[in-house]
Amino acid sequence: MTLQTTLLASLPIRRFRPDLVLIFMLYLGFSFSNVSGGLLAFFLGFLMDLFSGNTFGLYTFTRPLIFFMAQLVRNRFYWQGFSSQFLFVFAFSLLEGFLILLLLSGVSSTPLHNLYPSIWTHLLPQSLFTGLITPILFELFQKGSVSLTENHRRSVQAGG
Amino acid sequence: MRIRALPPFRRHPVSFFIVIVLLSGLILISLRVKERQGVTYFDALLLEVCSPFQKAATHILEAVQGVFQKYVFLIHTQEENEMLKRRIAELQGENHQTKEMTIANERFRRLLQFRDTLVTRTLAAEVIGQDASSWFKSVSLNKGERDGVQRGMAVIAPEGVVGQVLKTSSSYSTVLLITDYNSAIDAIVQRTRAKAIVEGKEENRCQLKYLRRTEDVAVGDVVVTSGLGNFPKGLLVGEIQEVEKKGYGVFQYAELVPGVDLTRLEEVLIITESSTVSLPPQEEKVEKTKKASGGGRKKK
Repeated sequence: MTLQTTLLASLPIRRFRPDLVLIFMLYLGFSFSNVSGGLLAFFLGFLMDLFSGNTFGLYTFTRPLIFFMAQLVRNRFYWQGFSSQFLFVFAFSLLEGFLILLLLSGVSSTPLHNLYPSIWTHLLPQSLFTGLITPILFELFQKGSVSLTENHRRSVQAGG
Repeated sequence: MRIRALPPFRRHPVSFFIVIVLLSGLILISLRVKERQGVTYFDALLLEVCSPFQKAATHILEAVQGVFQKYVFLIHTQEENEMLKRRIAELQGENHQTKEMTIANERFRRLLQFRDTLVTRTLAAEVIGQDASSWFKSVSLNKGERDGVQRGMAVIAPEGVVGQVLKTSSSYSTVLLITDYNSAIDAIVQRTRAKAIVEGKEENRCQLKYLRRTEDVAVGDVVVTSGLGNFPKGLLVGEIQEVEKKGYGVFQYAELVPGVDLTRLEEVLIITESSTVSLPPQEEKVEKTKKASGGGRKKK
């Protein structure tokens, strides 16, 4: 979250900065359990809303939803290759964008006509960038979780 | 012996958990939509906990960028230096003329008996982070309630208007930028005094709404705050880039570029107090002067 709001926002690609939190959420959906991953997704969505100009708390709902949808398809979808990871995250990023627009149209009293062009100027390029860097981040997350598991196993064995 | 059936949440714990989590999200949304009171205690606590990481990351980034800009990318520095010196000289000349106009303006205001002048108190703050989402436009600042910041306060930069304070915690706050779709500021076109509402459109673009079709508005016109709402009068909002007048309708459409580059904000000023101060009218001053001179003569 800190990287997304500081480093990525300061780069020239700020308009199309990839959504690192979404990538992490989808990785959680593939590899974590329902309960712990769901709670983490809820908390991360809550944090997104806190550090956003959105006062409705939309990500607190959409992020867990995205997580559970990823859990639904994880066993029916091959997600190890570059193209499959890219397509998967690209599709979910677009889906979340439309979901946000749908929720905003329901809860916001302000007309949304100024937001619709953002589908082409922001959502589409951002989803593309998010999908493109997914394989790198998935690899990093995988290595991170493996080393964490190893450390935990060693500490348990040392304690035993 | 009859075996009691398990309750639904024991039979399908995962589904039940999913429903609970999603329902919690929906309940939170409905609470925020209904109350719209800003940050609750829990929100403020999380903001306090997480914002220091943003602040630290921003400082590290600024240090690294500073090294590159000051020592590595020293390209065309001398030409830029010469150009800036010339520009400073021009601006000094314009500044003198502006001072003269200000003095004359003050004289005319007193003559016309405009008694009040606006005094504002501001608080400087540093931008420590941008909006986490691409749909909304906001920035995080390193000043909060402890420093006197309250929700709704106007935020400006030397170049013009930035936005309004949206959320606050003890030491940090979030500002909704004027380019956010949810932002609306009452403004006037400086040249013709045409009234309009400035609404956020996209990154570094706003639009003028409810601008009457009969009003004279042209590309290059400067738009300033009207004084209604939280912003003092006369602050630069932006410059009109496009005007579209259809053959029908009550209103015309105009687009403007904000005076402040909102993608490169580093420091801002929060208007913490804006009050009017009464100036003594001209006749009272003349009376006082007469009394003072009469008393002096008597003493002699």
